[in-house]
Amino acid sequence: MRPFKYTGAQNKDQALQAFTATSHYLGGGTNLVDLMKEDVERPDQLIDINNLDYKKITSNDKGGLTLGAMLSNSETANHPEVRTNYPLLSMAMLSAATAQIRNMASNGGNLLQRTRCPYFFEVSMPCNKREPGSGCGALNGMNALHAIFGYSDSCIATNPSDMCVALAAIGATVEVQQTDGSSRMIVFTDLHRLPGDRPEKDTTLMQGELITAIHLPKPEFSDHYYYLKIRERSSYAFALVSVAAGLQVKSGVITKVGLAMGGVAHIPWKLTKAEGFLAGKKPTSENFKAAAALEMKDAKPFEANTYKVEMGKNAIVRALTQAYEREV
Amino acid sequence: MLERLPKHMKEKYKPISKIKIMTKTTNASGVGTAINRVEGHLKVMGKAKYASEFPVENKVYGQGINSTIAKGEIISIDTSKAEKLDGVLKIITYKNAEKLKDFDKEMTPIATDTIAPVLQSNKVHYYGEYVGLVVAETFEQAQYAASLVKFEYKKDPSAVIDFEKSKSKAYTPDNGTNYSRGNMEQGLSEADVVVEQTYNTPIEHHHPMELHAVIASWDNGKVTAYSSQQIVEDAKIAISSTFQIPKKDVRVISAFVGGGFGSKLNLDRHVIMGVMASKMVGRPVQVTVTRTQMFTNTNMRQQNEQKMRVGAKKDGTLTALSHETLSHTATNQEYQEPCGMVSKMLYKVPNNEVTYKLIPMNIQVPFAMRAPGEATGSFALESAMDEMAWKLKMDPLEFRIKNDTQTDLHENRPFSSRLLVECLRIGADKFGWKDRKSEPRTNKKGNWLIGYGVSAASRNSPYQKTYSKVILKLDEDKVFATIQMDATDIGTGSYTIIAQTASEYLKIPVEQVSVELGDSDFPITPGSGGSWGAASYCNGARAACENAIKTLKNNRNIKEEEDITVSELLKKNQLTKFEAEGMAEPSAEFEKYSVFSFGANFCEVWVDKDTGMYRIEKMVNVASAGKILNPKTAYGQIIGGLTMGVGMVMAEQTHVEPNFGNFITRSFADYHVPVNLDMANIDVIFLPEEDKVANKMGIKGIGELGITSVAASIANAIFNATGKRMRSLPITPEKLIVAGLEPGITA
Amino acid sequence: MAEFSININGEKHNVNVDPSTPLLWVLRDHLKMVGTKYGCGIAQCGACTVHFNGTAVRSCQLPISAAIDNKITTIEGLSEHGDHPVQKAWLEHDVPQCGYCQAGQIMTASALLKQNPNPSDKDIDNAMSGNICRCGTYIRIKAAIKTASDSQL
Repeated sequence: MRPFKYTGAQNKDQALQAFTATSHYLGGGTNLVDLMKEDVERPDQLIDINNLDYKKITSNDKGGLTLGAMLSNSETANHPEVRTNYPLLSMAMLSAATAQIRNMASNGGNLLQRTRCPYFFEVSMPCNKREPGSGCGALNGMNALHAIFGYSDSCIATNPSDMCVALAAIGATVEVQQTDGSSRMIVFTDLHRLPGDRPEKDTTLMQGELITAIHLPKPEFSDHYYYLKIRERSSYAFALVSVAAGLQVKSGVITKVGLAMGGVAHIPWKLTKAEGFLAGKKPTSENFKAAAALEMKDAKPFEANTYKVEMGKNAIVRALTQAYEREV
Repeated sequence: MLERLPKHMKEKYKPISKIKIMTKTTNASGVGTAINRVEGHLKVMGKAKYASEFPVENKVYGQGINSTIAKGEIISIDTSKAEKLDGVLKIITYKNAEKLKDFDKEMTPIATDTIAPVLQSNKVHYYGEYVGLVVAETFEQAQYAASLVKFEYKKDPSAVIDFEKSKSKAYTPDNGTNYSRGNMEQGLSEADVVVEQTYNTPIEHHHPMELHAVIASWDNGKVTAYSSQQIVEDAKIAISSTFQIPKKDVRVISAFVGGGFGSKLNLDRHVIMGVMASKMVGRPVQVTVTRTQMFTNTNMRQQNEQKMRVGAKKDGTLTALSHETLSHTATNQEYQEPCGMVSKMLYKVPNNEVTYKLIPMNIQVPFAMRAPGEATGSFALESAMDEMAWKLKMDPLEFRIKNDTQTDLHENRPFSSRLLVECLRIGADKFGWKDRKSEPRTNKKGNWLIGYGVSAASRNSPYQKTYSKVILKLDEDKVFATIQMDATDIGTGSYTIIAQTASEYLKIPVEQVSVELGDSDFPITPGSGGSWGAASYCNGARAACENAIKTLKNNRNIKEEEDITVSELLKKNQLTKFEAEGMAEPSAEFEKYSVFSFGANFCEVWVDKDTGMYRIEKMVNVASAGKILNPKTAYGQIIGGLTMGVGMVMAEQTHVEPNFGNFITRSFADYHVPVNLDMANIDVIFLPEEDKVANKMGIKGIGELGITSVAASIANAIFNATGKRMRSLPITPEKLIVAGLEPGITA
Repeated sequence: MAEFSININGEKHNVNVDPSTPLLWVLRDHLKMVGTKYGCGIAQCGACTVHFNGTAVRSCQLPISAAIDNKITTIEGLSEHGDHPVQKAWLEHDVPQCGYCQAGQIMTASALLKQNPNPSDKDIDNAMSGNICRCGTYIRIKAAIKTASDSQL
């Protein structure tokens, strides 16, 4: 890989100060280092933030939990409070990658995972995300694994994270440190962006901003939850389609619903229409099917990924059913 | 049901999983015992030395550079940036490479002794072809420098990269493999029922876990190559003929091979680049093929479109069978996977036709991958057989049994032994086949549709001329033996079964035997591949041991039949050290028979009715593969074949990008091989079999048998579960969704 | 190039390498500790698994600069004589075939058992599914982990 300067930061000020336009923060490195080896990412400097003190899970003033950005995915997903109160998040996180990768991967890094689009990874191929202006190889190429929602002519890639799908369903908030020393909050669904004509930008983070924490709202889906991930082998594969479903059911009526899909868009795809449809309704199979149909009718698949529409519908219904029928 | 098993073999068959683990072998008669592999301790401690791990002094690193067009010419090369980097010693391209023998010749059919030109011209034949090599002090420097060498190409738009769109370019290879017997059309007209279907299998890659690698040293015209090879002798010949140096000046060492599966049969071009680079920089050069290069530069299984036509009478008697394979080869080399082989010999069918056509494409030449021919051909044949059974409303098991044959109708000679019917019967019994519901979609549990499937397995068991050497040393009363041969252990257990053979024939405990393999200075063997390793190696080792004893007896006029220990023999000869060589080869009798291993695979598959995800709940595999030398290593071979077969069915597929011609599948993230969670609950049963025609020790091949029956058995089970016939591998959730998982049968 | 001091198997090692060098190359090429294997270089196969402060991680993904001040254990340091319970179970079940992935498998399995001395089938599958074995030894790996966890050896 290309040589780079390594800077070990002991605190956030050192990290922010060291940042330059061609720097990257180094967390677990599970995505970044691979991409550097593939010559896709080419930072001049890596600022190691593993010693930064964002490794705790604490209670927040909304009655929920706050997850430190530098905590590993394993520690987060296996944390007793996460398992008990946010089992949807835990389930999604544990379905991702492999144990070794989860041991290294940080929460902040997970939110910034880059696409698995093969055109992005192969530097001899066109890719607007990797090399703006070079074209999108997938658009008229192999796109069976690509987006069916929200894509543009510039980019049809999908977001690969499982954790993000669950966070979109749960409705989290992300806290970031800005380079001027102040911090700001980003509603989770505003963190990632659709490709438009700037697919090189995956998120709305500004240069040098550092994710420090993920705030979870008060637990709502600890009884009825399911993360369904459809993939070619039973483990260690990115989703063809995934669905995070959380329900709150009181007296036979759905009082709260969190639904998001993975593998279908450039961002974790929040199923707002289905959520709206289901709120206040009974958790029946008819309603689940209607909600799925309502959401999927706007899908615009390519010939090779038309299957995702049917698969997506079935997945939404199944995830909702499993969530509802879960033994409490 | 066991009627054809010899009487003494009618012992109760046991699943291998129930065989007690033996911790120690005190039994001198080693062959057939389930000892732990003799090199196991090295492997669990990380001490087994693979090619790139030999401590060669002063070594430097080479990194291959790959073309980024499918066809055309290199018009310029800019090495200036790379050259300036620290540690870079040499950048080799066609402009400054050593000129090799016949460098300008196009390569024709793959042969093991062929030369392997590389970096000889500015022409590009496929995306990923080597166009350069950077040599640097460290691996990291070489890799980085390689990324900085800039090639400019003139692209030739006539590149053939789309299989589907290029079928009109197919030709019939001139290799004599097209075949017919009887009259196919007449056979079809005699049939009451005809099945005519096409089955597709994709490009697959071997991906042994050890990357192909070499440490090559050129020293005054002499070459030493630590290279990961399945066949050491062929690698030696390829180096000597490519560099025009005497064979005796080439030494190839391949002591441990981290898997091959066919990809390491031939010498690949990174080895030639390594030798060339060593000659040019005057230091040993290590070249490791990266995982992405494993797709483009170390062979693959080709894509096949197999059209099957099967005719049968109402009672299930086969009348006709044809197997037409359309595939592809490289534009500069020819290889054809023998998919139709299995259709020539597996069943009693009087009218039979097997044909091949190849499309020359601008992708690398395909080559043998585990059970070339049978793995893919059986998927087509055994799926078509299942389709026919369904149309006939016959039990697919009985349908196969009805068409069994003890004669190989293709060669018109008997099988040396064939227990296919027994494999099917015993497997059915163990599996619980009687509980199968013949009507699809009738076995359900919650969201699962459950199906049972079966497939026959067969694999040719060749056996080849093999030399070996035994060195006996007497230490007080104990004799220690060392066997040397250029054989390889690619994970199959060669070290272990050769040690057991020596133990058996020298009548000494296996702990007193050491085995040295994988060095071209040792006696010549055919290497590991094509399921011939075990039979060849063990018979070769046996011959050396027998020769040793015979010579020691002859020298002292001891009668051959006299029972005397090898230690006594050495003492009577007043020797403390003695060496003998031996050779084994197929007998004249062997040529009069067809020698095959047979088997059957049963599986139970659970398909999710909505998502198309499925899991293999249970498999029972029965094998009749001659003498089982060591149930533990043999079991490893079968479960290994089954696992790779599961990969073949569930996910393995290399995609060619339709606009650029590269493999869009370029890492383990895109090319899904099975993982731990995919495999569960397998029972393996070996039928006791002694086939003395095959060879003196009665050994047949087992390394490839396992994979040959997996694909069809799972596809057939999926039909039984869902009512949907899946004719294209891999069978993925998306394909099942497209096929439609709603009720109804699509036969 | 820079001088790094790292702690491997309880011993200090000084190496002079580029800070970007992954730990795997430091082990294999600079320290000649070749028990840890190179299978893909991009954290997709598990052959390079080592223990990093006791947990199983992939050494190909860890720049040397990020490895300092941490405790690293490789297959060479798992046991002196190959008698760690996992290694013994591996031998008994004849798990290795070609053997190339097995150092990584053993390092993952031993880290699992340290954390969870009595893993269920599901725990084993979850922990082990990142280690690819192309010889197909998976079902033996599961059996061997059970044997090792029962500490019968």
